[in-house]
Amino acid sequence: MKKYEAVIILNPNLSSKVDIFIKDFTKLLLDNSFKIFKSEDIGRKQLAYSINNHNKGHYLIFSIEGNSLELINIENKIKYDDSIVRHLFISVKEHNENNSSLFTESMKKQKEQNENYEEKASNHNDDDLAKNNKISGSVTSEKELNSDKEEQVDDE
Amino acid sequence: MSKYKLPKSFDYKDIEVLKQFITETGKIMPARVTGVSAAQQRKLTRHIKIARFLAFLPYTDMHN
Repeated sequence: MKKYEAVIILNPNLSSKVDIFIKDFTKLLLDNSFKIFKSEDIGRKQLAYSINNHNKGHYLIFSIEGNSLELINIENKIKYDDSIVRHLFISVKEHNENNSSLFTESMKKQKEQNENYEEKASNHNDDDLAKNNKISGSVTSEKELNSDKEEQVDDE
Repeated sequence: MSKYKLPKSFDYKDIEVLKQFITETGKIMPARVTGVSAAQQRKLTRHIKIARFLAFLPYTDMHN
């Protein structure tokens, strides 16, 4: 038994089907008597250079343990999967129990995005209100100006 | 005091750490410049090369 980390870069166009892929892949791992310690769905990320004309990739990282002979089976099956842009199985001495910095970063980003969406939604309403106020405010000021002018005319 | 953030062990996923040790053109900086020990430099090199393969880091600045 050896400990491995599997990094898989999926086609970003199939991002919506990630859940299905994860299910299939975990099934493939379990069928080959692999244990899964941890799986991280990092999400879409900019690639440092384009691979097969893809500029983004959907990253998945699995911490697994199993036999090296069965790993070859898995790799042979993965090789011809079109949805995978690139994959790497790397043997490690110990599995890191903490979440990787990549995963925590992506989680942070997601949170921020969600918050931004909410803020935008609330801001939008505020903007509308402000606009209405402005319009009504300008109207009143114009009226005032007009009345001022009228008063001036009256004085003359 | 070194100006680099040195972790206990390098990891190919810690892109921000590895980025300190590559030049603008993407080359791995020599240990004589960074002052990393020889043993650490060997590990660092290995992890930078993995990170490059996984497109976390560029091989060069000439990528399209």
